[in-house]
Amino acid sequence: MITAWRIFAASWKHFARNLWIGLATVFVFTVALLSVNVLIGTNVMLERVVAFFEEKIDVTVTFESGTPEALLTQARFYVQSFPQTASVQLVSPQEALDAFKERNKNNPKILEALSELSTNPLGAQLVIKAKETEDYPFLLAAVRNPQFQPFIRSSSYDDHRTAITSIEDAAKSVRLFGSGLVAVFSLFGLLAAFNAIRVAIYTQREEIAIMRLVGASSAYIRGPFVLEGVWLATLACLFTAAAVWAAIYFGEPRLQQFFSGSDTGISDFYVQNWLTLFFSQFAVMAGLSALVSWIAVGRYIRR
Amino acid sequence: MIVLERVSKTYHPDSVGLDDVSLRIEAGELVSIVGQSGAGKTTLAKLLMAEEQPSAGRIEIGGWDITNIRPREIPELRRQIGVIFQDYKLLPKKTVFENVAFALEVAGAKSQHIYDVVPQVLKIVGLEDRAHRFPRQLSGGEQQRVVIARSLVHRPKVLLADEPTGNLDTLNTQDIMDLLVKINAFGTTVVLVTHNREVVNALRRRVITLKDGKVASDVAHGKYTLTV
Repeated sequence: MITAWRIFAASWKHFARNLWIGLATVFVFTVALLSVNVLIGTNVMLERVVAFFEEKIDVTVTFESGTPEALLTQARFYVQSFPQTASVQLVSPQEALDAFKERNKNNPKILEALSELSTNPLGAQLVIKAKETEDYPFLLAAVRNPQFQPFIRSSSYDDHRTAITSIEDAAKSVRLFGSGLVAVFSLFGLLAAFNAIRVAIYTQREEIAIMRLVGASSAYIRGPFVLEGVWLATLACLFTAAAVWAAIYFGEPRLQQFFSGSDTGISDFYVQNWLTLFFSQFAVMAGLSALVSWIAVGRYIRR
Repeated sequence: MIVLERVSKTYHPDSVGLDDVSLRIEAGELVSIVGQSGAGKTTLAKLLMAEEQPSAGRIEIGGWDITNIRPREIPELRRQIGVIFQDYKLLPKKTVFENVAFALEVAGAKSQHIYDVVPQVLKIVGLEDRAHRFPRQLSGGEQQRVVIARSLVHRPKVLLADEPTGNLDTLNTQDIMDLLVKINAFGTTVVLVTHNREVVNALRRRVITLKDGKVASDVAHGKYTLTV
């Protein structure tokens, strides 16, 4: 018990008396953690951008004017029955006309031409949203079955095919590269932290040898260094958390300008996952520091 | 009692530290081990504190055969031998008090015992008013006295002094030697490894001379006879 207390006290005293080496190590740890967090944040934001565009995608199937309402309702239920369908909205001819007028309210020539017509030229529309962008071709093929095909005037999918495919590809790339980059940065961060500890202990190699000559056991020598590594990791995690919080608090409003004022998703992500993020980063950093300290000190414990 | 029986230490086939050395140092003796550079003095000191293992022979300290001592037993041995080094080997980030206390802490001594004993030992070496200074704030002589205090604090039966005056001026050398003689007078066996002629001659105690790794002479009240 008394030995455990001495090791604990020695670790703090050691940290205080080697403050500059300790702070330099904390700085390297913090930079490593920050680079990983910046990448996680960027990944979240890119995911949000992709989701933003994916939400904008839908396929509108326009029916011929005068298509029976029963058939339209049937088509709607038919499309809704597929598991790939996120939502289906049936727009009546009148609603379609109102929306058209609204879109062209600053174009008097179109509105004038429209008023010349005695009947509503627009047909009903089915606005289909799929759960995944790659499901659109399937849903479109389903709705173009012989029962509904004769009544279908056009669909917007063909116009947007290229855009939808591009977004789909971009989403896949973002997810793949994002995960890959986070993994690579995590590895670099760990290597940087690993070397920072090795250097810090290298500078104290003579002290380690002296402790041994005076009769200290290996565990008694290693203990304070291992605990000090844990304190350094704790400080680095706290500094990183503070820096991430400040970056989100001050940076997110500026980033929202690029999202047309809508949410970037970063603060939501961190609010929902801060416990997991903080403790997983702390566990990795503290565990690594303790392990590397144990090994590095062992190198300088001679007979 | 320290016993060496036909001890040899070979580093490489052409580099011999000690060659078939047999010695017997009785409890309470003050013995000087002298010899020129490369004679085997430092090798002998390293073998006695188990920093190295002999290539052949047997070493016994206080009845403990340390010839093939296991690494985890070495700290226990060092808590029973006081060692003084030429280059002091003080922990630079610990105060004088902490350096001395460290030798007791590693042995698991109680805090109260440490707070009682350390000031007493610092008083013996005349450093009671330097307890809270760091080694860099002390002179060479004062640092060596801290080392002596550290080596004495757990009341060792054997004190091994490896060139303790090597970095000191004449005045400090005399102070340190007076201390070692005083410590020996209290019953501690002192093994002094040195090449300081004046120190050895002033002592008029047993002198073991090493040459090329062998015992060249062993005189009960000897003098430093080597010529440079």
